[in-house]
Amino acid sequence: MAMRVILNQVWRAVEPRMDTNRRESLNALFAPPLRPLRYIALALLLAACTPEPPPEDGIDVGAALGGAAAEGFARADRPRAFRFPEDHGPHPAYRNEWWYFTGNLEGPKGGRYGFQLTLFRIALTPDAPQRPSRWAAQHLWMGHFAVTDVPGGRFHADEQFARGALGLAGAAQDPLRIWLKDWEIRLEDGAWRIRAAMEDAELALTLNPEKAPVLQGDNGLSQKSAEPGNASYYYSIPRLAAAGRLRLGGESIPVQGQAWLDREWSTSALGADQAGWDWFSLQFDDGRELMYYRLRKQDGTTDPHSAGSLIGPDGEVTRLAAEDVTLQPLEYWQSPAGGRYPIRWRMQVRQLEQPLTLRALLPQQEVDQSVRYWEGAVEISGPQGRVLGRGYAELTGYSRK
Amino acid sequence: MSLLWRMSGRELLHHRWQALLSLLGVALGVAVVVAVDLANESARRAFALSMESLTGQATHRIQAGGQGLDEGLYTQLALDPDLDVAAPTVEGVVTVQGLTLRLLGVAPFAENGVRGHLEGLEGEALTRLLTEPGAVALSVDTAASLNAAVDRPLAAQAAGRTIPLTPVALLAGDPGLDGLLLADIATAQEVLDKLGRLDRIDLVLEPGQAEELARRLPPGVRLEAAEERGDAALELANAFHLNLTAMSLLALVVGSFLIYNTLAFSVVRRRPRLATLRLVGVTPRGLFRLVLAEAALLGALGALLGLAAGWALGNALLGLVTRALNDHYFLVTVTGLTPATLSFAKGALLGLGVSLAAAWAPARQAAGASLLAARRRSADEGRARRLVQPLALWGLGLLTLAPMLIGLGPADHLVLGFAALLALILGASLLAPLAVQGLPNRLAGPLGRLFGPPGRLAARGLAASVSRSGMAVAALMVAVSATVGVGVMVESFRGTVDRWLGQTLRSDLYVSAPEGADALPPGVAERLDGVPGIRERSSGRRVEADTPRGPIDLLALGLASQSPRGFELKTGDPASAWPRVKAGEAVLISEPLAFHRGLGLGDELLLNTPAGPRRFPVAGIFYDYSAVRGMAVMERGRYRELWDDPAVSTYGLYLQPDADPDQVKQAVRGALAGHGEVLVQATGEIRARSLEIFDRTFAITHVLRLLVVGVAFIGVLSALLALQLERAREHAVLRATGLTPRGLFGLTALQTGLMGALAGLLALPLGLAMAWLLIEVINRRSFGWSMDALIPPGTLAEALLLAIAAALLAGLYPAWRMGRAPIAAALREE
Amino acid sequence: MPNPIAALESVSRHFHEGGREHRVLDKVDLEIAAGERLALLGASGSGKSTLLNLLGGIDRPDQGRVLVEATDLAGLSEHRRTLFRRRRIGFVYQFFNLIPTLTVRENVALPLELLGQALDPADALLEQVGLADRGDAFPDVLSGGEQQRVALARALAHRPALVLADEPTGNLDARHGRAVLDLLAALTREQGTTLVIVTHSRAVSGYCERVLSLEDGRLTQGGGAEW
Repeated sequence: MAMRVILNQVWRAVEPRMDTNRRESLNALFAPPLRPLRYIALALLLAACTPEPPPEDGIDVGAALGGAAAEGFARADRPRAFRFPEDHGPHPAYRNEWWYFTGNLEGPKGGRYGFQLTLFRIALTPDAPQRPSRWAAQHLWMGHFAVTDVPGGRFHADEQFARGALGLAGAAQDPLRIWLKDWEIRLEDGAWRIRAAMEDAELALTLNPEKAPVLQGDNGLSQKSAEPGNASYYYSIPRLAAAGRLRLGGESIPVQGQAWLDREWSTSALGADQAGWDWFSLQFDDGRELMYYRLRKQDGTTDPHSAGSLIGPDGEVTRLAAEDVTLQPLEYWQSPAGGRYPIRWRMQVRQLEQPLTLRALLPQQEVDQSVRYWEGAVEISGPQGRVLGRGYAELTGYSRK
Repeated sequence: MSLLWRMSGRELLHHRWQALLSLLGVALGVAVVVAVDLANESARRAFALSMESLTGQATHRIQAGGQGLDEGLYTQLALDPDLDVAAPTVEGVVTVQGLTLRLLGVAPFAENGVRGHLEGLEGEALTRLLTEPGAVALSVDTAASLNAAVDRPLAAQAAGRTIPLTPVALLAGDPGLDGLLLADIATAQEVLDKLGRLDRIDLVLEPGQAEELARRLPPGVRLEAAEERGDAALELANAFHLNLTAMSLLALVVGSFLIYNTLAFSVVRRRPRLATLRLVGVTPRGLFRLVLAEAALLGALGALLGLAAGWALGNALLGLVTRALNDHYFLVTVTGLTPATLSFAKGALLGLGVSLAAAWAPARQAAGASLLAARRRSADEGRARRLVQPLALWGLGLLTLAPMLIGLGPADHLVLGFAALLALILGASLLAPLAVQGLPNRLAGPLGRLFGPPGRLAARGLAASVSRSGMAVAALMVAVSATVGVGVMVESFRGTVDRWLGQTLRSDLYVSAPEGADALPPGVAERLDGVPGIRERSSGRRVEADTPRGPIDLLALGLASQSPRGFELKTGDPASAWPRVKAGEAVLISEPLAFHRGLGLGDELLLNTPAGPRRFPVAGIFYDYSAVRGMAVMERGRYRELWDDPAVSTYGLYLQPDADPDQVKQAVRGALAGHGEVLVQATGEIRARSLEIFDRTFAITHVLRLLVVGVAFIGVLSALLALQLERAREHAVLRATGLTPRGLFGLTALQTGLMGALAGLLALPLGLAMAWLLIEVINRRSFGWSMDALIPPGTLAEALLLAIAAALLAGLYPAWRMGRAPIAAALREE
Repeated sequence: MPNPIAALESVSRHFHEGGREHRVLDKVDLEIAAGERLALLGASGSGKSTLLNLLGGIDRPDQGRVLVEATDLAGLSEHRRTLFRRRRIGFVYQFFNLIPTLTVRENVALPLELLGQALDPADALLEQVGLADRGDAFPDVLSGGEQQRVALARALAHRPALVLADEPTGNLDARHGRAVLDLLAALTREQGTTLVIVTHSRAVSGYCERVLSLEDGRLTQGGGAEW
């Protein structure tokens, strides 16, 4: 889902119908965190993800990037047969792709930690360049890495970019390896190994899948808006047993816990009138998992394309539609960067027997990089406050004044 | 007080031509100073900006001499999680439509905030920049000067080939982008033929990180702080601007004279009326204030006009300044003047300050005038005559101070050099009145015999009105001497360079890599072997070499038997030096290198070679005018061994005595046809082209010379006009006594001609002294070049003629007017 | 008059002042005999200086003829008039009008020099006006009376036919004025030079053989009104 975070924010930055005041406030909002070069990446992402000229004339960036740029790329417009482990690897025929790990970890003293490691592939051209310079690249890579330190009450996040050339970043099949400089995802003998480092935190985990990949949407074709082809191929591994080491500052902590992998590739996916979304991946202690995203429209209502799935302990998948789920924010956190995020919700799912309360482990799990969104560990509890499980939430489109 | 003001206003209106002339004087003085300053400053800033845009925010850079860095080093460093390595850079020169542009290859997603060039680039454009071969982005201004547009390919000469470059985006707003073609690093490698190589890696390092990083670098690769490099690069441009600064200084002095002249006159002329004011009860202080206020008004108005005119003039000069920069370095598109507050402040201060200073003494005199006896002009002259000698003493003092100033500081102290120049000019100007007082009186006899009574009268009148004529002569003298000084300097420089070219270009033909190409393609030597008529050949490899104190040029020479004759040693014995160089155990260094590094015979030059730092004893110092930052010459075998670089930049071909150079040239061209773009030039062509560039560079000095004379011309005109107007009654008496209008015209013309001749004659020694200072002190201290002083008689004669012509021309109108003035009225006026 | 050295024949001269025509001389006739000393009286602005300038060839009449030694000055070009003046006319002014940048001797010698004659008479004249010892001084160190004596010497140096003096004592006190007039009378008498003095002082007219008054642009005999 995180791709949509980026898209949506960029979208808003170039939104033509805004009145001056709002534009200014948005500029103010985007100006400080959006360092110039980072903006370029966003422009690229935008280019990558808007196949159609926007509905209203005058969106210069969008118009400039539309149409032809997407030519030559494959589109996610029909169901396909998934094959594993091959589909864990890259799909360069599609413009965008990501490997998105989130998870809840625990230290030896019971300290709780959250992590996110995402590597984005953004294709510049449909075909590999035939050029003499080794710097010529087909792909641009972006990575986000975040660690939630609950005992320390701190949240760390970092970002990297590199072109897919000279071994700086890339994806290789067999053995599967996706890397961006020193951030790396590998699949060896059915086990995932991920490692990433930033100034204050470093993480190395082995992740063993406890469930088979779950195809989201219509057998893995996830429609994001009414426009045909505005869809992605989307699957998840809803539960991986995680073990490894987490370095926080100078301290190296052995950790274990559970992780979630989201895999998505597409050429275009966006709808124009969506304001943001709330995405949840929940892992219940009873062996079930739930994924649900609510797409919020500009007027605050829920988009009918909102969807999700409920996975039984045996891997049986129940699809959730927008009308199956209600979400009610109970508490908000005011970000110093300007956004106001819900950090406690009441969630009711028709297919579940009881209402859930979701609570952020730390309020300030805001990723404030090229783009700003909230991505953090949550705890699930039942009506009596009984803890039912753990999960991750992604909140976008809140960062406005 | 309002009545007084009204009077002042009417006075100015009534004498509006004179007021206008004063205004013009102030305005011109200010304009020239501001214009030179602005043009200079704008070009300097554009250049600095361009340099800055290459390095961006980087605090450090990783680089190596010779062939640059292996790109694998970047990957290695980038993948090291402990290092925050950024901004690999490939940079080079391409020629588009005859303009030299820098092609800057960057890796947009590896910049880490080092440079902000690609800010605001749209996604599609960025994608194209990253993916299309030959895609470039350039500034709107650069595009305009190339008449380039998005998607219209430009034919670019780079690395000896013609390559189409396609603009995919035009960038606005950043003046640092001027003259720059931005490309993805892949494109830059391909266009510049630098596959696998980087020129440098720019970094932003935290304090303390540098040492750690430096330790990890392989031998021959160095980490240096950005400012070390930046200064070295800017030094090039600074040297060029130095001469302009000298010019601006001269303009300042001449401008001050001009302003002083016009304003002092305007006060003196009205002294009788001012005395009347005192009679009716205006206090001395009130009068003083009134006069100063008028001067301030004139000065302020003039300064304002001057600033505007200076802006316009500066724009005109800018083209010349920029062209000189482009010839020597690379395209610096200075799209407009930078409104430098300092330049304007300087101009305004000059206009107002000198105006007030000029009015001060006359105002004091007017205020303090005795009421009993109406002050007479002759009394002023008496006072002035008494002042002449003390002034001359001061002048002598300043003249003796000048050489002391030169010797005062360290040998490369520039400011002291300029101070000496100023002392020289001021000293000479203070001596001028003495000459005006003394010389014409001696000339009265001969002139009388030559021209009759008007001759005698003219000579005597000049000496007798020393308070006016002295000033005018001094102003003209300074202006003309400036043209002599700069003219002699430029001529000497040109002569020296010409001689040096003749000395250096010993071969008959040169085969060299075209501009922008690093080296000749391999295999040229083999093809040359087959060309008949070549007796011998030398080979040269010119690269940048690193030293602990910044980069220098390194020339690795494969010597032919004739080669040593191409180097004229300033220090060192050729007989002993060359064998040591040939053996690879010593190097020769150029004069500027020796000067700037304080290196002498037997000292050691430390070079950072890829094989590690090496010391080379200096076997000799040779004259060189090609490398401002200095050059070292090394035997090519030794260079190959240390740099592992077999490439050759140039072959010098010595022909058989009976071979026809044109035929051989054609044969060489034929042999190398289809072997990439290679320049085959006869010695004469290179020499002619070098001198052409030289002349273009100094075109601006010619223009400035004329400007300075123009200012002096206005000064002389206003001085003469005032002088002649003041003498209206005297002339009327002469007319009444029987001097014909023609006679009076002749008298006036003779007098102004005499002033011009005097100024011209005085300007010659002063100009030569200035030339000496410019050659031996200013240029030497900034460039480290020695020049053979060449005194072109033409320049001297020209200066003399210029002075006389300017004075005569300036005297024309007053003379004509005097001849026609009604006598009766003038006679009755008190 | 049998042998007039100078004559005005029906001379008119007018000036335009502020759009108004101001007739200074209106058909004036005058004959001056050789060797005569003539005083011309009149109020300020009565036109007596204009008359003098016409006689000296400095100004030209609008109508009529100005004859000096039978030459019609009005009919001469500026150049020829100047050459005539150089030889035959000497001027003395109220404000002395010495050339400040020339010494006393040089001032006196100026007319001789312009004529290309020997300068010796200058010293003799200086002797006569009693300033032989000040020959090398510049005019500004001299008193008013002394300056005017230099001016007299200069006016007579080239032995002109006609000396024209415009208020020669106007800028001097009575004593120095008398001294200058004495000297002027003596020198002209000695050289046989014709003298025309313009003045508004009756005292001056005592030195002259004939006194004329100028009033409303016309000449009348005698002293006219008391000035």
